[in-house]
Amino acid sequence: MSSNRNDIFVYKDRLQEIYKDLNKKYSHEFNLSISNGYTVTSRSSKVENIEYHEDMALNVTVYNDFKKGNASTNNLSSENIIKTIEKAENISQKTQADDCQGLPESNFTEKEWDNLGIYYPRDLEIENVIEMTKDCEAEAFKTDKRISNSEGSTFSFSKNSHMILNTNGAYGAYNSTDYSLSCIALAEENKLMERDYWYSSSRDFKKLEEGSSIGKKAAQRVLSRLGARTLKTQVCPVLFSPEMSASIISNFLSAINGSAIYKKSSFLLDKVNEKIFPDFVNIREEPLLSNGPATRPYDSEGVLTENKNIVDNGILKTYLLDTYSSRKLKMDCTGNGVLTNITMNSSEPLVSDIVSTLKNGIYITDMMGSGANTLTGDYSRGAFGYLVENGEIQYPVTEITVASNLSQMFQNIVALGDDIDLRNRIRTGSLLIDNITIGGTN
Amino acid sequence: MNYIQNLILDNYDLTNKKLENILSAACPKNIDFADLYFQYTNSEGWQLEDGIVKSGSSNIDSGVGIRSVAEDKSGFAYSNNFNYENLISAAKTSKCIVKSGQSREIQLGNSQDIRKLYNPVSPLDFKTDDVKVKFLKDIDKYVRDKDDRVEQVIVSLAGTYDSILILNTDGIKAFDDRPLVRFSVMVILKVGDRRERGSSGGGGRYSYDEIIDTKFAYEFADEAIRQAAVNLQAEDGKAGSMTVVLGPGWPGVLLHEAIGHGLEGDFNRKKTSAFSDLIGKQVASSQCTIVDDGTISKRRGSLSVDDEGCETKCNTLIENGILKGYMQDKINAKLMNVSPTGNGRRESYACLPMPRMTNTFMLPGEFNPNEIIESVKDGIYAVNFSGGQVDITNGQFVFTASEAYLIENGKVTKPIKGMTLIGNGPEVLKKVSMVGNDLKLDDGVGTCGKDGQSVPVGVGQPTLKIDEITVGGTQV
Repeated sequence: MSSNRNDIFVYKDRLQEIYKDLNKKYSHEFNLSISNGYTVTSRSSKVENIEYHEDMALNVTVYNDFKKGNASTNNLSSENIIKTIEKAENISQKTQADDCQGLPESNFTEKEWDNLGIYYPRDLEIENVIEMTKDCEAEAFKTDKRISNSEGSTFSFSKNSHMILNTNGAYGAYNSTDYSLSCIALAEENKLMERDYWYSSSRDFKKLEEGSSIGKKAAQRVLSRLGARTLKTQVCPVLFSPEMSASIISNFLSAINGSAIYKKSSFLLDKVNEKIFPDFVNIREEPLLSNGPATRPYDSEGVLTENKNIVDNGILKTYLLDTYSSRKLKMDCTGNGVLTNITMNSSEPLVSDIVSTLKNGIYITDMMGSGANTLTGDYSRGAFGYLVENGEIQYPVTEITVASNLSQMFQNIVALGDDIDLRNRIRTGSLLIDNITIGGTN
Repeated sequence: MNYIQNLILDNYDLTNKKLENILSAACPKNIDFADLYFQYTNSEGWQLEDGIVKSGSSNIDSGVGIRSVAEDKSGFAYSNNFNYENLISAAKTSKCIVKSGQSREIQLGNSQDIRKLYNPVSPLDFKTDDVKVKFLKDIDKYVRDKDDRVEQVIVSLAGTYDSILILNTDGIKAFDDRPLVRFSVMVILKVGDRRERGSSGGGGRYSYDEIIDTKFAYEFADEAIRQAAVNLQAEDGKAGSMTVVLGPGWPGVLLHEAIGHGLEGDFNRKKTSAFSDLIGKQVASSQCTIVDDGTISKRRGSLSVDDEGCETKCNTLIENGILKGYMQDKINAKLMNVSPTGNGRRESYACLPMPRMTNTFMLPGEFNPNEIIESVKDGIYAVNFSGGQVDITNGQFVFTASEAYLIENGKVTKPIKGMTLIGNGPEVLKKVSMVGNDLKLDDGVGTCGKDGQSVPVGVGQPTLKIDEITVGGTQV
């Protein structure tokens, strides 16, 4: 397999060659991504799928005074790149002027990055990869005889390169790798089936969790779902698992994104410097975390990313702004053409045994549906979890809904657990939130 | 016209003989089957927000997917480069699921004559960019003139023309050209500090003229304003189990989630679905007959042939409450010893095909919709939804209402805030006690996701009453 790094330089030269002849009337931005790798799935102790992928995408953004055009292609011949540029230029003659549009002026990247701690290429033998997935699935079956079936174990690898160039002089390039191993196990009891999964992901193959441990966790998780009961409708405290907490925090991040703010489509409009969370809550963006799942040195426009406090002692400190939304809102650009790694933290010690802190309530480990409305904050989703009494898990509960309003949920956070999920781009432990409506039976 | 012939086969001198060689390379004797999926997709989008057409975008994506199948194993590779040598090398990668085997001869037939459900004309060639930009501005002005509570209007117009060629070791050679357009409008109204959203839109496999030269878009704009206005009045709803009447059309997302996914062949072959082994059994009330129909002319979920070259069909999934059959692609049909049903679909050349839905809907029953509402003493009338999700193994599914009302003593009264409904697929349709005579299909905006692959789909249903389902309001 060819090295991505070399590929990227081939295209850099090609783009710079084309550059010279570009019509100076326009400003141009080029975003190039190249990715290749494979996915292997084994099921019932046999390999099921082997899929190889190799993707390229060039995105060209053109500003014609204050008018914008955009075109993209996956064919990177010089001839086709020129056609794509022309197409973007043509579109920019048809769209309307908006004086907030244009390339970023400064603070952009001008280098190649190679010490981000996110690039660990490794040539694995496909036979070994197949064995790894078989072992992972086998461990799930070994755990308990109620493990009746599986959707298999999947390993995936990809090697990625990204480059940005613009006619204001921004240039940046970096490489990354992604490895993941997962297992989906099914369990059956009294003719009722359940499924659950576990996965590990890392930039570095060596840091992946052992397949046997993943298979076992997938099995334990699905076994704990067996015998789920319904629940009476009630208002109670709810403990959200780290994965579910991350989804709640992602709703918060969508609501403070510059584009939601300037479109006036957020329940957190005009809330900078106001208290959104309890005093102990701090939320930070850390773009350059080593082995971070969303680590990036620059954003989608080539603006350098930076560490920042988004929430300090419960107070919202900033919106997440790219060049356009910052100009629109007359604020400073925060390099958030993309969002990188987010860390949720507490100024009080993280709680180590958070289920016992919940005492009586529901521990939610899975939610379904798209019921988070970031315009109004209204929240209503389907859920699966466990009834907790006297700090102990009693039994699994299913076919319930979780409802509240995000503003109230943020204010009602009581505690943050130390069970931080490092796989997620949003690093948080379990959140204990008071006063949630659980819909169930009458 | 089909771009594959001109832009790819002719340009790269891919003769029938060479195509046969590529298939051969992907299909030695210990492989059962191989196929090639050539695709050339041209798409564009125009969007207006804050009163101006701020951006336009254009994308061209092309490539070929090569798949080798041995029993239940699939090897897969793709290439964006159409040079013969590259394709041969991708074919060799694709057959990696087996150790080396003896080669075999492949003979391609003539290209198939397929029944056309839509015109092979690119919507992108149909209207000038100036016309599209003016159209978006007209809609924006119309909305802003109509209601002075308007805070934001976002209008978008998107078109795609997808040319494909499917070749396989059975000798099939099928071209298809798939136009798809979509219009959408989102309106935010503001009164005091309260902001609410309404959205609407539609589309299908035709050209922009059916949107731009008709009243179509204005009706959707009216609908978006109406929904936002209703939501401005909406109060918090109750939580718990209650009777729910679903309106006709888009609420058919119920069927897509509650039973559709659970009836896809792959899950049933692997016996991971809550519907596994239930063929011939009662899974819904006897008033329910549900089909998946990929053959309706010009509809968003329709296909002349599926992505494996099989003609789409109207497949009965449930007839008078009895489970009749699953939706199949080639591999799963073969492994389950049934015929393919024309449901083999893929997001693009870069993905493996799977059994997927097309247009899934319930046939009309005998009740007048008013009669259904009048029969409810205390319940909810839900008419618009924003989407749903299902766990096909335990059958739990959700769908989220974006416009709903209370029913009190047989009358629709106050609007209530959007909320999620949760139920169990194999159980919930048994609780359907009345089916209306007002079947309606959705307006053509649905997209379904499975294993990370998105495909356009349709849903539909008449008004129907579910005696009991759990509703996620905030009030107890």
